[in-house]
Parts: sequence; C-alpha cells; structure tokens
Amino acid sequence: MNLLTRRRFLQNSFLSSVIILTCGDELFGAVNISQTFFILHKDLFPSSSFIPNVEFINANIYLNKIFSHSRIKDKEKKFIRNGVRWLNEEAIKIYNKKYINLDNLKRQRILNHIATTNWGESWLNSIMMYMMEAMLGDPIYGGNEGALGWKLLNHKAGEPRPKKAYL
Amino acid sequence: MIYDVCIIGSGAGAAPIAYELSKAGHKVVVLEKGEFYTEKDFSKDEIAVCRRDMYTPDLQDEQHVINERNHDGVITRYEGAKNNWSFWNGSMVGGSSNLMSGYFHRMKPNDFRLKSEYGEIKGANVVDWPITYDDLELYYDKVERVIGVSGEVVKHKFLEPRSSSQFPYKRLNVNSVTKWFDSTCRELGYESIPTPRAILSEKALDREGCSYSNFCGSYGCSTGAKGSARAALLQKCPAKIISNAFVYKLDSNADTVQKAHYYDKNKKSHTIKAKIFVLAAQAIESSRLLLNSKNSYFKNGLANNSAQVGKNLIFSAGGVGQGRIRFENLNEEQKVELMQVGLFFNRSLQAWYDYTKKARVYKGGTIDFLFEHSNIISKAIREFYKDSKLIWGKQLQEKMIKNITTSRVLTFEVFNDWLPTDYCNVTIDDKVKDKYGVAVGAINLYSHPQDVKVGKYLAKKAKVVLEKMGAEDIYVNISQAPPPNLVAGGCRFGDNPKNSVLDVNCKAHELKNLYVTDGSFMPTGGSVPYTWTIYANSFRVADVILDVLKG
Repeated sequence: MNLLTRRRFLQNSFLSSVIILTCGDELFGAVNISQTFFILHKDLFPSSSFIPNVEFINANIYLNKIFSHSRIKDKEKKFIRNGVRWLNEEAIKIYNKKYINLDNLKRQRILNHIATTNWGESWLNSIMMYMMEAMLGDPIYGGNEGALGWKLLNHKAGEPRPKKAYL
Repeated sequence: MIYDVCIIGSGAGAAPIAYELSKAGHKVVVLEKGEFYTEKDFSKDEIAVCRRDMYTPDLQDEQHVINERNHDGVITRYEGAKNNWSFWNGSMVGGSSNLMSGYFHRMKPNDFRLKSEYGEIKGANVVDWPITYDDLELYYDKVERVIGVSGEVVKHKFLEPRSSSQFPYKRLNVNSVTKWFDSTCRELGYESIPTPRAILSEKALDREGCSYSNFCGSYGCSTGAKGSARAALLQKCPAKIISNAFVYKLDSNADTVQKAHYYDKNKKSHTIKAKIFVLAAQAIESSRLLLNSKNSYFKNGLANNSAQVGKNLIFSAGGVGQGRIRFENLNEEQKVELMQVGLFFNRSLQAWYDYTKKARVYKGGTIDFLFEHSNIISKAIREFYKDSKLIWGKQLQEKMIKNITTSRVLTFEVFNDWLPTDYCNVTIDDKVKDKYGVAVGAINLYSHPQDVKVGKYLAKKAKVVLEKMGAEDIYVNISQAPPPNLVAGGCRFGDNPKNSVLDVNCKAHELKNLYVTDGSFMPTGGSVPYTWTIYANSFRVADVILDVLKG
C-alpha cells in the first residue's frame, strides 16, 4: 500500500472516525474510536500475571480490516460507534472527563457501571468478541501475532490454514 | 438443447440422481445457486466460516420471514435480516452435506410406521410412510458403500436389520475418553454404540482418508474424506453443473414441467429445458419454488392444486447438553487422554428409541455424544460470564486459561421426532423480496408440546451418564428451537393425492415429470439426523427415473 492510499485508508477507516461528545446539551469535546479502543482493550484484557504481554493481539490492526467486511453491517458498526460515545459521556457525566482521560480505577468503575445496563453489557460483550477474534483468529487477519493466542490456550489450529483472509 | 434431466439443487437429495443418471449416459444438468468449491478451497478458518458465515447467503440479500406460533396461538413475525435469524445451510455445490458432521444413523423400521406403531397423537399429522424400511434397506446399504460410511456394527436393542453384516469402512480412531464412557454405560446398564460416520477412515473411493484435523462440522473437508454429495458423487460423474444459478420459476402446462428459469450471479435470466425435472433445493426452498411457480394450470403454485405444498414442515426436535471434565478429578494418564486432539468421540445411545411411561409406549430417539467443537474463538467467548455476570480483565483471563487448558467439555445432542402439525409449514411472504426481487419463503413455526417432553426424557438419560463420568457444570437445553440444518417435509409423499404432494416414487401427483428428492418428501422424520435417509431415498428414486427414461 503506498503512502497516499494508506493515509486515505486510515482517514476513511471506521476506527479513525471522530465522535462528538456532549454533556447535557453542551458540546464537551471529541474522541475517535481508535483512541477509546486503545485504552479500553487494555482495560478489558490487560497484560497480567496470566498473560504477561497482550501486545500480540494487535486488536486495532485486526479491527481496521474486519470493520470494512461486508458481513459486518452498518447497524452493528453504528452500535459500536454509539457505545464509544455513551461510554465517554458516562465518564463525563460522573467525572467530568472523557473515559480515555480517567485513571485506571475510575475507568473500571465506569465499566462496572455500564455492565449493569442492557446496552453496556451488550456493547462490552461485542467489543470483547472482536478482541477474541483478533487474539485467536488466524494470524493472516493481522491479529494473533506469532500465533501466541493459540499457544496461550494450547490450541492446535486446524489444517489446512487459510491462505488468504476472507474480507 | 433439451436435457434428459434437470436437477435443481446439488445436495444429498440431488446428487445421487445426477450421479446415477449421468453415469448411465443421460444428459443431466445440475443448477446450484451457490459457488463450486472443491477440496483445495477449504481451510479451517474460524473467522471466515463461523464468524462471517462465508458459506451461507448474506441475510440482507436472501432471507426468510419466520412466523412463530406459541402454544396460546399467538404468532410473532420475524424478518430474518432484521432479527439475524438464518435458516440457510451450505449454499454451495454439494449443499450442506459439505458442512455436516456426518453423524449417520438409519431410520428404524418403526419410523416408517409411526401411526400404526404408536397411534394417533392429538394435534399432530402423524402418518405411516408409503414405503417400508425393507424398501429402503438396500439403498441404505448402497450409501454405506458409495458415499462411504465408517463404523462398527454392534448388537443393541434397536439395531435395524441389515443386508450386510458390517460397515464397509472400519471405524474412525477415537479418543481414549470413550473407554471411560463405555465403562460408565456398562455400569449403568446402557448400550454404548459406536456412532457411524459418513467419513472415510482410510483412502478409498478415489478419496483420501480422514486427516483428523479436528474440525469437521461447519467446515468443508479438504481431504475429501467426508461423504459430501460433491466429493462422493458430483465430482465423479459427467453431469453438467452450473453454479451461481438461482432457479426462480418452473414453467408447466397442465401436466408437464417444461422449463426452469434461473438467474446467474449477474442477475441475468436463463432457461433450461428438460424431459424430467428433479427438485432438491432443501425443504424450505423447494416448497418456496413450487409456490412461486404459479401459472394458469396451477393457480396456487406448481403441484399444489390440493393445497399440500409447504404443509407439514418438520425439523429435528430435541436439543443439547454438556458437562465439563476437569483435571482436578483425573490422574496424570487420564489428563493426557482427555486432551488428545483430532480423535473422534463417536458414541451414541439408542436404548430409548421407544420407551414406556405410565403404560403408554412413546416414540423416543437418539443421543449422540461428542466433544465440544474445537473452534477456539467460540470457546473463549463462552468464558465471558461467571455467575451470570459479564467478567473481564484478569478474572476473565484466569477463567479462560484454566477452563480451556485443564478441562474439556463433553456434549450430547438429542434427536427425536418433530411432530408434523397444521401450524408448521412453508408459505410465501409477499412483503419481503430477495436480491433477485423474488418473494421469500415464510417459515410458519410451531412445535408440538410432545416434542419437548420426549426430548427432556432423553436428556435426563444422557445427563446421568455425564454425572456418573464425573462431569461438572452440567447444562441441558431442550427447547422448541428449530435446528436450521435438520429440516424436512413440506412436500410429503403418500398414496392419496388429497393429503400428499408426491406419490410413492416422489413424483408429483399432478405432474408427469416433476420429482422432489430432498428431505421435503418425508412425512415424518424419524429420530435421527436426516442425511442418510435423504441419500438412500434419492438413490431409490434414481432407479425409478432410470426405468422411466428407458421407456
């Protein structure tokens, strides 16, 4: 991909789209999906004593590809996008800060709070499903670098593996 | 050009006809709406196959409308695309047989005489078949040899009569945990049966044997070991196969079908002429095509002057259950045995194919046991909840790693009769059109209350086995939910044209040259997966058509 088309790809990609945030009726600021996911993914699936380094998941690389898939419908993408807005606005409502600007403890409080709501539980479930796809799908999709996700779970991949991603 | 035979669909009901007739020198064309994939195209790509559903139509393009009726008579309408409710299976040459797990059971002699053997059931349209098990036995045997069924015949209470003493292909290798299962069954006085599979255990029939890659159901087989209609039949015969050909209408005069009209992938219309037409597009779609093929002779749809097309749609009743076998309860040797990958489980119970309760004999069914599917993304997602609460972070990681690496889930599937009723059928929904502009099929869903009662009875028996084996977290789900991959009926065969669509040879009563050979013909379904019976019946009808073409 040359530089120009790569820039255009990033500009046009779902993850880089900007979301306007409000507090009550007033404009509060803006955030993009990618910024939120960068923090959120680590909150949901952090490096830990169980998994020392989660960088191999490459969730954003995977999601950039998969969110342009024809089988992922606008309705689903709209829900993901709205969820990013609602998550940040919930943080603004409670802490007067965007989710991405909160400290870890406060972000976890926000997650625990939205998980008790129907939209929040459903949205977090969706986000985590895509993370599992990134972590445990074939590395040809850009996630699961070095097949470390499979190694972590002692998973033996089925053969033959795909020669190209289905996008 | 006028073909001898035009076949619509290419799955288990279609391919035996194509195979037998084209090999006998007849000009045969097969019209399949999906792609023509072969072994080299298949991989074990969970994201493509199971997360993005690459082998089934996008519901925005093609869908069904589902009208679900509950036991109070209240009907709720669901549009498939809006509700993400799919009834599609494999849309490809060879149909869903490419993606089956290949659990192969014959129907039993009593399945052909359900009404005579078990009596009327209020609210159900139970009938005897117009043929007997004996009429089909030689064709079941033929399927074993031609499609390739591996297994081991063992004597048990409901073993059906066989013309050959053993399966032609030796049984597949199994996981050591089957020893624990067999031992448990012996203690319980249950008869454990090796499950026959439509999978070659070794190279045969010009196909490779199973590679034990551990991904079977939902995936295409890259060795050709699985007995799909494509690998076993269509790739081995000279029938002309046109893929990406969606048949939207059949033309007829008063007694003869003359043309099939289809759209190619560019939505350009084409016409095929033939002497004989065979419809095998899967039960729901076959009824839909007949109902959409109205003309001045058949104002309610082709072969439907008795208003029987689409009626008595059936699925397989029953459900699933599972239990987790954990390392904590095993010694070192057993831990290694539990985690052996690639090997099959292949065990069934049929001891309650019928059973007596309160002095009444009920038709029961089959229980197949198998390990949880190897799809790793699905396994991980199933760990998202603890005590009904969504979890994440370290808590999720710990649970996921522990459960997936130090335990294994043994599952079971219950198959029992989905009783045919007046409320379960196929009609047309004129409000919703597919991408070709053709009105979609409406699936009017209803499950007879006895279906769940029988399913629960069988599940209790299966649960006892899991408990005795030391499984934990046992979970059972018997429901009225219809499995989309186990569907039949809609054009039942019978002797009386007033209450059946097809005659004993699966030819439409009202047309001289139209046969329907997918699962549509089945008036009742038996308590087993349908594929073996559909294959066998299609071979039977192939012989009938051969005779017709001989004149």
